[in-house]
Amino acid sequence: MLRTFALAFVVAQATAGACGTSGTTGTTTTSTTTASTLNMLSIVVNDGPAHSYFNGAFTSVMICVPGQSACQVIDGVLVDTGSSGLRILSSALTLSLPQQADATGAPIVECNEFVDGITWGPVQTADIKLAGETASSVPIQVIGAPNFSTIPKACSSVGPTEDTLTALGANGILGVSVFRQDCGSGCTIAGGANPGVYYACPASGCLVTTQALTRQVQNPVWLFPVDNNGVVVQLPPVPTGGALTVTGSLIFGIGTQSDNALGSARVLTVDQVGNFTTVFNNQSYSSSFIDSGSNGIFFLDSATTSLPLCQQSTDFYCPPTLRAFSATHRGVNAATSAVTFNVGNVDALNGSFNAFSEVAGPNAGSFDWGLSFFFGRTIFTAIEGQSTPGGTGPYWAY
Amino acid sequence: MTFTRVIARRYFVIWIAATALWLSAVPAFAALGGDASTVDADRVRMKGSLLRIVRSDAYTLHEIRSESGTTVREFISPAGKVFAVAWEGQWHPDMEQVLGAYFARYQQGAQAALRQRRTRGLLRIRDGDLVVQMSGHQRAFTGRAYLANDIPPGVQADALR
Repeated sequence: MLRTFALAFVVAQATAGACGTSGTTGTTTTSTTTASTLNMLSIVVNDGPAHSYFNGAFTSVMICVPGQSACQVIDGVLVDTGSSGLRILSSALTLSLPQQADATGAPIVECNEFVDGITWGPVQTADIKLAGETASSVPIQVIGAPNFSTIPKACSSVGPTEDTLTALGANGILGVSVFRQDCGSGCTIAGGANPGVYYACPASGCLVTTQALTRQVQNPVWLFPVDNNGVVVQLPPVPTGGALTVTGSLIFGIGTQSDNALGSARVLTVDQVGNFTTVFNNQSYSSSFIDSGSNGIFFLDSATTSLPLCQQSTDFYCPPTLRAFSATHRGVNAATSAVTFNVGNVDALNGSFNAFSEVAGPNAGSFDWGLSFFFGRTIFTAIEGQSTPGGTGPYWAY
Repeated sequence: MTFTRVIARRYFVIWIAATALWLSAVPAFAALGGDASTVDADRVRMKGSLLRIVRSDAYTLHEIRSESGTTVREFISPAGKVFAVAWEGQWHPDMEQVLGAYFARYQQGAQAALRQRRTRGLLRIRDGDLVVQMSGHQRAFTGRAYLANDIPPGVQADALR
């Protein structure tokens, strides 16, 4: 109860401060730090709302009808540094949000591609409130809306549909990657070069459409009035053997407040698709990325690593004893950072725990630095085109 | 105009159209499991550009870029069979086109993986001789599919990407 009161007070104070800064500045007597916005959201690594996850970081988001006080808090939303945009399962949404439409009034529906499947559903508009930050009138995706149940074949053939709580394992996904939009310039092009992510769906059926950048599903962070240049994911160390749950923070802004300073973090810039290079055993792997939405460190293969695959969880490594590895991350800016990580026996892990730092699996020719990598680190994700004390995004820093 | 001249002109037009199509088409693209004899039919369907052909003793690699920029590599055995395809790009390729006759098994395998899965952000399917592996993140996807029994001797699976 006390915490609720304290939080309400901070929010009220932040709001008052924001009003003050946009009004007169001549009579200010309080220091500028009191105007700081509450920029920290709690995250938890647990089994998620479907009780099916491990190494997934979840948070709660508030969404509102644009400009109105009708709001809903949705918990169990996966924090994903590997994608951009807020996606909410239709089954978790009670709020009625305005539908985005094209010039002819046809609703816009998205076929969003993830690695392991697609999310299909209409683009709707919401105010997104995360801690004390607000992004107004943001296009989001509502996944699996019953009024758009027919998925075009070109979309469903990409992969399985992740449109239920069971399939997604989360009530939604909060994509806070290095990109402003989920698709980018490709979706603005007409013709065969368009990847077919956005569809216009009049009554006669859905057809691929061009979608201007501002109308695409947006990483909400860059649309905040302040603390809008990136995010920080902070998770505590997890001992070998795992932990039932751990809690951490999703902090908005880089170098904008006392809680998100870069400090000694090394800035590793990424290429145009968000990748950097991992050097491992003197080999360079240029398709490397940091992804809180992956639940392990997925790298190379058994032949290269001498790590046997598991007997049961065959998509993971199962060395008989814990093995330590080292690698070097190298940004496009040539900055490097040495990394050490452990790989353990996934089949031998405590099945009731949800957070593990030693979970890893095969991924030929690449390094996917998933949530195992986040434990015990403070990881900065700088958004493309946004200015930070460490330079302009996109970059990773830790 | 005589009847024969009409016929001749019609055939000439068809010949011009066919030649134009042949010249604009990508030389050689076949789906997983396809063979050299399907290449002529497949290349017309593939709207893209050939980046390179690399020949080695073990296999021939054709690298093609699709219209939306995804690079697809097909590995053809000395016997003329496409035993592996690999891709890389901002979006997944047309999986039906890339996987050909194996597309239905990919769909079933991916659905099964979704139901039973433990990995998140990674997809691995092993169904008999068919192996499909997909990784990456939004705007940077990689993947490959191969027929484990058809990998030519001396070729490491790791090289098929």
